[in-house]
Order: sequence, then C-alpha cells, then structure tokens
Amino acid sequence: MSVRLTDDGRVELHGACPSADAETLLAYLSEAKRTVDWRTCDTAHAAVVQVLVVSRAELLGPPLGAFLRQFVEPALKAQ
Amino acid sequence: MNEFIAQFLVECRELVTQATDDLLALEEQGDDRERLDSAFRAFHTLKGAAGIVDFDAMGRALHAAEDVLAAVRSNAGQVTPQLIGDGLTCLDQVSQWLDAMQVDGEIPSGADAQADAVVRRFGQTIEAPGPKPATGAAAALHWAGDLQRRHADLGAQARAALRYAPAAEAFFRNEDPLATLAELPGLLVLEIEPPPSQPLETFDPFVCQLVFTALFSVEAGILQDLLAGKTGAEAVALSAGPDSGLPPVARNLIEAQRLLLADSNAEPTAGRTGSALRVAANVLQSLGRVEEAEKLGAIGRDGASAALEAILEGRFEGASTPGAVTTRSSHEATPRALRVDVERIDALVNLAGELTVAKNALGHAAALAISGGDPTALGALLKDQHAQLTRLVAALQRSVLNIRVLPLRTVFQRFPRLVREMVVTLGKPARLVTEGEDTEADKAVVESLFEPLLHVLRNALDHGVESADARVAAGKAPSATIHLRALRQGDRVIVEVEDDGGGIDIANVRRVALEREVATAAVLADMPDGEVADLIFAPGFSTAAEVTSLSGRGVGMDAVRIAVERMGGRVTLHSQPGVGTTVRFSLPFTVMMSAVMTVEAGGQMFGIPLEAIEQTLRLPRDRISLIGAAQAFVLRDRTVPLIDLAHSLGRGGGRDEAASANIVVTRSAGQWAGLEVDRVGDRMDVMLKPLEGLLAGMNGIAGTTLLGDGRVLLILDLQALLS
Repeated sequence: MSVRLTDDGRVELHGACPSADAETLLAYLSEAKRTVDWRTCDTAHAAVVQVLVVSRAELLGPPLGAFLRQFVEPALKAQ
Repeated sequence: MNEFIAQFLVECRELVTQATDDLLALEEQGDDRERLDSAFRAFHTLKGAAGIVDFDAMGRALHAAEDVLAAVRSNAGQVTPQLIGDGLTCLDQVSQWLDAMQVDGEIPSGADAQADAVVRRFGQTIEAPGPKPATGAAAALHWAGDLQRRHADLGAQARAALRYAPAAEAFFRNEDPLATLAELPGLLVLEIEPPPSQPLETFDPFVCQLVFTALFSVEAGILQDLLAGKTGAEAVALSAGPDSGLPPVARNLIEAQRLLLADSNAEPTAGRTGSALRVAANVLQSLGRVEEAEKLGAIGRDGASAALEAILEGRFEGASTPGAVTTRSSHEATPRALRVDVERIDALVNLAGELTVAKNALGHAAALAISGGDPTALGALLKDQHAQLTRLVAALQRSVLNIRVLPLRTVFQRFPRLVREMVVTLGKPARLVTEGEDTEADKAVVESLFEPLLHVLRNALDHGVESADARVAAGKAPSATIHLRALRQGDRVIVEVEDDGGGIDIANVRRVALEREVATAAVLADMPDGEVADLIFAPGFSTAAEVTSLSGRGVGMDAVRIAVERMGGRVTLHSQPGVGTTVRFSLPFTVMMSAVMTVEAGGQMFGIPLEAIEQTLRLPRDRISLIGAAQAFVLRDRTVPLIDLAHSLGRGGGRDEAASANIVVTRSAGQWAGLEVDRVGDRMDVMLKPLEGLLAGMNGIAGTTLLGDGRVLLILDLQALLS
C-alpha cells in the first residue's frame, strides 16, 4: 500500500503513488487535520498531488523522488 | 533549391489556399466560428513556417493579420469587409513572395517594405473601433510574462514558458500530467495554480483541476513537438537574453557590425565606423524601429561600438521594446490531406485506362458466350482475361498503396534538433547520424514513428551512453555516436537506433526486475540474458539509478513496444556490454495490408495477425491443466494461458472433449497466450478495414476484410483480447 495511516495519525506516502491513492488520501485528510509524510515517496500521480494542493495539508519532506523534490515540493510550498 | 525551402513553399501554398477559402466563407457568414478558427490557424501556421526559414518580413505581415483575427476570436472585434479585404491582400502578398522564392529559393529583396505596407493596413483596422482590446496573443503573454518576472533569477536560461491545463477527465483517460511534465527536457521551475477553494468533503479527486505553469531551458518548438496531442498545453517562446527585441537574423547582423568595430587589429576608420552604423541603422529601420535608427545615424565614431552593444542588450536610448514574447500555441489540428507525387497519380490514370480495355474484352467474351461460340476457345479467352485482370488489380493495389507512402525523412529530420537539446540537458557529448532517410513506408507508419523513436533515442542518450570520462577510460572517443537508420527488407521496413554506449547491464536489469517485482526470482534465474534485456520493455521498469527529467520513470520503453506493436511491428533489442545497444523496429511497409492466418472457431472465421503467431500445435487434452476457472499448458518450460477463442468472443459451442486441442500460440506485448480454435486455415494477405458503425465498439476485433467467397473475416486484436 503506497498510502497509509501511521499509528500517530500521520499519512504516509510511500514509493510510487498511483492515481487510486488520491481517493484514500482525500479520505484520510477529510477526517482530521493530518500531516502528510512523503519522505519515502518516489513518484506521485498528479491526482495525488492535486489532493495535497486542495487540502493544504502540512507536508513532511523532502520527498524521495528527484522530480518531486526538485520541482513539485517547491511548487507546493510556494502556495 | 534546398529541400527545406521546397517543403516550405508547398506547405505555405496549401495554407494560403486554406486561409483564402476560410476568409471568403467568413465574408459570407460572419459568425462561422469554425471558419474563423480555421483561418486563424492557417495564418498562425504560415507565420510559424515563415519563422522556420527566417523570413521575418513575412512573419511580421502575418502576425499583424493574426492579431486582428485573434481580436475577432475573443469577441473584441468584428468581421468586416475591410478585415476580409486586408486579410486577402496579406495572402496575395504572401503568394507573391512564394512565387519569387520558387524561382531561386531566396527570400525576396524588398519584402520588408511590402510587409510594412501590409502591417499598416491592419494597424488601421485595429485602431478604428474604439478602445483597443487586449488581443488573444496579449492575454497569452500575460501569464508567461508574470511567470518570467517571478523567476527573474533564471534570467536568460528560461527560453520557453508552458501553461498546461489538462482536461478535467485526464485522470480517467489514464493520463498523468505530472509524468508528462517530468518527461519534458529542460524543466527549470514548476508552479501549480491551486483550484478554486472548496470543501474537501465534496471534492472529487478524479477530476483534474490543476493548472501547471513552468519555465524551460529548451525552445518552445521542442515542447510543442513533445506535447502535440495533449489538450490544454500551450508553449510560448521567451526571447533570449536581456531582451533586445531583435529577431535572430537582425541580431546576428548587428552583432557582426559590433565585432567589426571591436577588431583590435584594424584602426577604426571613419569609413569603417560609418558603414557599420549604417548597416545597423538599416536593420533597425527594416524592423520599423525608425526612431532608434535615426538616433544611431547621428552617433559619432567614438560612441559607435557602445551604441551597438546597447542595442544588442536592449538598453539603447529611446528603445521602445516591442513585445518581448512571441506566442506559438501547440498542436494545431491539421486538415487531413495528403501530398501526392503527380507521377503516382499518372500511374493510376494509366491503370484505369488498362482496366477499361480489360472490361471491354470481357464484354466481347460475354457476347461470344451468348452467341454460342466454341466453349474451349471461350474458356481459354476467359482464362486469359482473368490473368490480365489479376495483373491489373495487383498493379492497382500497389499504386494505391504507394500513394500513401512517405519517405522516413519526414520523421527523421525532426530528431537532430531534439537530440542536440537532449545533449545539452544531459551534458554527455553525442552526435546523431541518420541513414536511409529515403526509405519509404506507409504514411500511417511514418507518422506513428516519432514518439517511439523519441523514447528510444532519449533512453539511448540517457541510459546507454556513458559520460565522456567513462568513455575515454574505456578507450572510446569521448563523444558518443548514435545511428538512426532505416532500410527496407522485403515487405518490412527496419528502423534501428544504435548507440556505442556501455550496453545493457544485464546483472543490473536482473536486480532491478526483482526489486520492482517485474519478475520473480525463480523466473529470473531461468531466464537467458537475451530475455532479461527484454525486460526493460516491461511496464514500470527503469534502470536509471536516478530518475532524470529526460527519460522520466521508465514508462518510455514500455510505451515504445505498445506503439510499435500497434502498427503491426516488433521491437527487438541487441546489446553487447561495453560496445553498445541496438533497438530495432521491424515494421510493415504498409499498415493496410496485413498477413494473417485464418482460423475457425464457433463456426466463424477469424484472422490472427501473422506477426503475433509463434507456432501452432495440437495438444492432447490431458496436457491442459485447469488453474481455477482458467486453463493453461506448458510449452518449452513456459506456462502459457489457454483461451477458448469461441468462448471468449461469446460464440460458445459444443466441443469434442476427446479430440486433442488445436492451439495457436501467440505472443503480443511480450505476453504469451494459446488460443484454442476448431481449425487452422491458410495464410493470406488481407487489406484491413477498420470497424465502423455498429461494429466499432466490438472488443477484441481489430478490423474486417472480405473473403473470396463473400464471407467476412474478422481480424483479432490480440492485445485487447488478452487484456
């Protein structure tokens, strides 16, 4: 599972997150205000990133994947 | 005349015709949106073409026309007879230029003044109705300019801006806009425009609402090429350097004058300075920057060099920099037309003549039969005429297919520039050598080749070619050579990309395949090296230790195989450690003729594309094992799933369980499958007709063709059937 809820209530994105993860992620983030830990996230589908954008969830980074780290994280931070 | 110009002329004439037709139709029906869009596209594409051959005057004239049409499109202007008239005048002028170029291939002298006249016409048209509206182009520049300003630190590095608003249903279509962006070369910075704020509870995560804007270090044209077909992507060129607002040709000319004056070996004489300044002033004048030209003329010998420098850097006194940016939106819908060599049409006309003769001969034979002529003589006559018709029909078929044939040059010629950009991005020196550009193939094949070839070239540069240091250490030339070649082999066209890089690291492929769960350890252990290398075509495989912006995430090679197989081709890979890798596409000469093997299942004839068939065999039923609800058998130590063809196409029927099974073993997209059929028929060449009307939605069928006895043969689409 590339998206999961940790024992301490954080959401963890791990490895390659496909578009299907967007729904799960959204469900977790709608329940409560949660931090998203994407330090082991390699790639994320745009649908997943869109949930991060819309939810304005706090992110724990930097993500593992070069593209996410170099381009997507700064774009999210700039908002 | 060089081929580039020849192509330019042909293309422009078509576009002028298109634009003229559209303008005339617009005059009839002022509110025809489609015609307006089509006219705009034609002008726009003409302008782009002018830019490609550095015909600035033509670009300027067309730009003016385009601006006016853009205003109409954004409802800020109206179609008036004057506008139509001006548009047609502009096109007439373009036609005259094209005529002049046809003679000697040179850009006509005096074009600048003529362009000025055209621009002036449109100037009046724009100013006439009240306050000047923001044109479409100006609106487009707005975001690009803003983006550039926010990232001013990137300076001259940023050469193109991209705004990408994927369609709302993009995710449903299995697209990943981020992956698309990640694959583009030269990304400098990315911004994501947030969707309008909304409560999370009602937010639909599968509707794409994202808008991306980004700056790139490559030219906008390259992005446009790569994004062709993607909806909502608009790439815009940013002018290079601290903007001088000068087109490249003008820039070069002025730069040459500056160098002339800077030559320390020569004493700057008054004559030399004067002539340099005069040339520069003329250049400015021709660009309509009259004020600056006059100022330059007044400058003395001492300030000349500094003044030229100032012009080049866009800080010359009184410089009123015109638009810093030029827009060229991506993916125009091109009208479906085919350019055909007259000779090929002539061949068809001749054939039509011969066919008429053959038809008349048949009439004669029929009359003979009715009047009760000698049956033996009649039979001989008919046989003779049948042979004649066979020859003619075959010739006709060849000629018709030849019409759709294009040289591969049309796709090859796009690569040198792209490879150059990739080399710059990656910092690995390499050169591309193309061979056999004259090899011809069906239009559909040629046009579908660009993307897979691009992926392969990218991979060769990114993963295949070593760094210059590593190459020298291995005793190779520091600069890599990549051969892109095409050749004809019988009825196949071979296209190869061969690099002289490090070859595929088989051990590494094994390791990664295991890591990424592309194959299990047991399977890998038994797999010969050749097949292991083939795993790079598996979905989700990437051997790059680090994901680069160029080759993305290994989706490339997977896409390559799918694209090539869709054309009825095959991809093979040959790699030698330390020597290099060759990726070879074997493609059908034409996609319309396909070789199929006929089979019968459930009382219906089907055709299976021959290139997908590995073998046919008869298998006793006890060798077929049941795995859950599915069946499988073992062939050469490989477990192959067995599909009952009649059953899977909804044509169930009784089967003799005692008899052994007739199986056609197929391989498509690397996937093996056995199809159980009632009978295996013959091999034949068929002309494939795509499914139309009610049949169009039928899954598992690629097309139909008619058999000699009038029955319809359904050609199976194995990829769809097996998925």
